[in-house]
Amino acid sequence: MTKDDAFAADLLRGHTDTIVLGVLRRGDAYGFEIYKAIRDATGGDYEIKEATLYATYRRLEKDGLVESYWGDESQGGRRKYYRITDAGRAVFGSNVAAWTATRRIIDSLLDVKESQQ
Amino acid sequence: MNIDIHRLLDEAFLGIEMTPDAQDLKEEVRANLMARADELEAAGATPSDAAHQAVAELGDVRELLEETADAAPSRASDPYTALVQRHHVRPNPGFVVRAVVWSIVAVVGTTLAILGASGVIPLPLGPQIGLFGMASTGLALLVGDSLSQETTTNHPMPQNRAAGYFLATLLGAYGLGFVALVAFGSMPVWGIVFAALGVIASIILFSFLGATQTNRHKAWTRQLAAATPPNRFEREPETAARFGVYTAAIWLVTFAVIAVLVFTVGWWWAPIAFVGGCTLMMLLLARMMFAPEKKSDTPAR
Repeated sequence: MTKDDAFAADLLRGHTDTIVLGVLRRGDAYGFEIYKAIRDATGGDYEIKEATLYATYRRLEKDGLVESYWGDESQGGRRKYYRITDAGRAVFGSNVAAWTATRRIIDSLLDVKESQQ
Repeated sequence: MNIDIHRLLDEAFLGIEMTPDAQDLKEEVRANLMARADELEAAGATPSDAAHQAVAELGDVRELLEETADAAPSRASDPYTALVQRHHVRPNPGFVVRAVVWSIVAVVGTTLAILGASGVIPLPLGPQIGLFGMASTGLALLVGDSLSQETTTNHPMPQNRAAGYFLATLLGAYGLGFVALVAFGSMPVWGIVFAALGVIASIILFSFLGATQTNRHKAWTRQLAAATPPNRFEREPETAARFGVYTAAIWLVTFAVIAVLVFTVGWWWAPIAFVGGCTLMMLLLARMMFAPEKKSDTPAR
């Protein structure tokens, strides 16, 4: 992993809660689906560790931002699905607003030009 | 099906005390590992390699369990006031101003509309309807705006759902406004159609919102609630059942009295019976839920 990658992975990890809420906004999902959605979105370059994700689920559930329920699969293990709550949606909304504001500040401080993209 | 997963998972959880919490985590991890191993197998790995890689990616499960174990108990011992202070959220000044404005709009609108409808102020029907519209919009804005505020105990409600409550309140209040217009005789009886439409739509919308509502209480409030001893109805279901039967009896009698009043002295006496029934039920509730407990060894016979 290069230095750039480490920087990006660090940034990503700081927003795990919001990212998970963002994935769940699209629909209920169990752990591996969430993990895969994040991995696919990053093109597989940076992944958030599964252990980090389990800790995130537990914290989000304790804070009432997600609810969980067991699926009724008969084959193999039973999947624990997560569903975003209204409180979760509200927190997601305010986190996204905070992120947008922060990104603008950082872009201007680092002198990032839109045209570079 | 991949057998290795189960063996490796058992090894990973070896020596961990199997609390319900740990058991839950293990089952959750199991299903996720199987999905990951299936994926690896589809990419060409042998079942055994897939299982080993999936479990290796997981890391140490002990860390997960430790993290949640220390979080909870330290908070529960704090007294209520300290908790409230720590989590205190100041009301947003903009919201306070808006709430006052919405309330004034609602009160002024209702007052003028009723004065107009009862003929104290000479107003044509159009403006009366407009005033009730203004009043119910004020009331609905107050409801919607309040629900989307973050408070010390609750997370804010998302905009869409708060808008739903706004609409439900608007329809319900406007419907009641039409009831008032018809009752005061400033609108012909067919106006009751609007009233019914508004109130019924509002009931449907409120039921939908209520049924799909999820918890908005913040974590510390819920922990506190979990630590509070159960009330009498939870401890003694038979007392709760008795209360239910009494309540049904009270309301049956109340509605009978309402019917009698309507057909004898006139419909405007009906609310008296309603208030009576309500009061009786509240007294009964207070008596049954909070009455000093009788000692179980001296049965009251």
